[in-house]
Amino acid sequence: MAHALRDRAAISGVGETAYTRGTDKSGLALQLEASLKAIDDAGLNPRDVDGIIPYFPGGGIAEDFIANLGLPDLKLSLFVPMGGATCVAALQSAAMAIASGVCNHVLISVGRTGYSGARVSTRLQQFPQFALAAEFEAPIGLFAPAQLYAQGARRHMALYGTTTRHFAEVAVVTRRHAIMNGNVVMNKPLTVEEHQASRMIADPFRLFDCSLESDGGAAVIVSAAERARSLRKPLVTLMGVAEGHPESPASIAQRPDLLEFGLAKAAPRAYAMAGVGPEDMDLAEIYDCFTFTVINQLELLGFCKKGEGGPFVMNGRIELGGELPINTHGGLLSQGHVVGLNHIVELTRQLRREAGKAQVRNAELGLVTGYGDMGDGSVAILRRAA
Amino acid sequence: MNGATTPAAPERPLPVPTRESQPYWDGLREHKLVLQHCAACGKVRHYPRPVCPHCFSVETRWEEAPPAGKIHTWTVCHHPFNFFFKQQAPYIVALVDMDAGVRINAPLRGLAETDLRIGQRVRLQFEPVTEKITLPYFTAP
Repeated sequence: MAHALRDRAAISGVGETAYTRGTDKSGLALQLEASLKAIDDAGLNPRDVDGIIPYFPGGGIAEDFIANLGLPDLKLSLFVPMGGATCVAALQSAAMAIASGVCNHVLISVGRTGYSGARVSTRLQQFPQFALAAEFEAPIGLFAPAQLYAQGARRHMALYGTTTRHFAEVAVVTRRHAIMNGNVVMNKPLTVEEHQASRMIADPFRLFDCSLESDGGAAVIVSAAERARSLRKPLVTLMGVAEGHPESPASIAQRPDLLEFGLAKAAPRAYAMAGVGPEDMDLAEIYDCFTFTVINQLELLGFCKKGEGGPFVMNGRIELGGELPINTHGGLLSQGHVVGLNHIVELTRQLRREAGKAQVRNAELGLVTGYGDMGDGSVAILRRAA
Repeated sequence: MNGATTPAAPERPLPVPTRESQPYWDGLREHKLVLQHCAACGKVRHYPRPVCPHCFSVETRWEEAPPAGKIHTWTVCHHPFNFFFKQQAPYIVALVDMDAGVRINAPLRGLAETDLRIGQRVRLQFEPVTEKITLPYFTAP
């Protein structure tokens, strides 16, 4: 029997601000600007929005959206507190709200001043999920995701022979894709040598293994598929979606396997819901807070076996024209950090064939992941409707 | 806090013990590794929490554990992310599989980065940083 949510919801609108380092605007202003673009892209009026899932903490809440967009009858206001896994997991929540008839059009949005506002080690203190890390890990010198995830990367290298050359490949390919996109923070070519010579942040992560601190906003509108069919843009439906929560969710240190996290549970569920597998994907937008995180997720998604993610990314496989193009917009590593909502925007554009120079030819089916909050995971499978 | 000779030093981030974790920090202050165990099924757990995830008992007991274990993995922190740790960078933080069956994350001192390997034995040491708080670190056994 088909899953109750399969293909019931569609991404009807997408929007982004310019991605920059430096802005006079607030996070809320960026979030609203992106939201208005997404609403316009769908051919809707702001007053059509009746559900919102803003990224939290940081940015606007229901009161801000009602006050700024004049929403006459908001029926649902949700937070999905999963860090970088939030945006993709929010697609599941939005689809549930739509399939149940509670909402017609749900707005998911992010606005962030990660460069001109508070930086990552400060922002994380706002998360209740980080209370354990604050008590046990900050006092001994671990503050930022770069440090906390570096221990997993180091172990992967020791167990499987993964190298920083593999990391470099992810960084360099992602940069090439970013340059094709244009609306990106990092618009100059990056070489393997430059990656390998960049300053060490938390061994084995160098500067160019780390995602950007940038300013910008992004938004998507999720609508009922039958409504979206008559809207402005080609129909892109949510074929499969799932979120997953790891063991020891608030502390990587105590997790039985540092390299197994929420995505390991979410991926099989999303594939089962969609009735497709990794071999069917034309492209993938993988949450790239760090280069190694992409390698680790490719394994958990079943694109390759555990431990083989390093060699998998080599020899053009993940580049446009390769077997599995990934992060065709430049990702968090080179485009901008809006907690992965830009990955959903990009996959939607690819499937609409609106991706410009970075268009994957005949893209019909792709997946997008979220990863964050010490190991929460989410994955969505989108398809271009016939 | 950080010695009278450096009055302008940035403040060290310190743990704020909770009702659940206080006995762990009390143990460190006495230079002992004291860990939370389920009083019903006996299983050890870390970090401290109110309910045993195996048998759901709310009864706990605290037992001293051997301060030794094997390196599970590590990182070397170069970018400090925090003003206090700027003075210490680069510093190694090792995640250690303690013999008692939990992991402890703590600075590793006296060993070179190039000498580290997974499975290497290390010993937990105790560094008093305030009257109330003692923090753990590792050294060669």
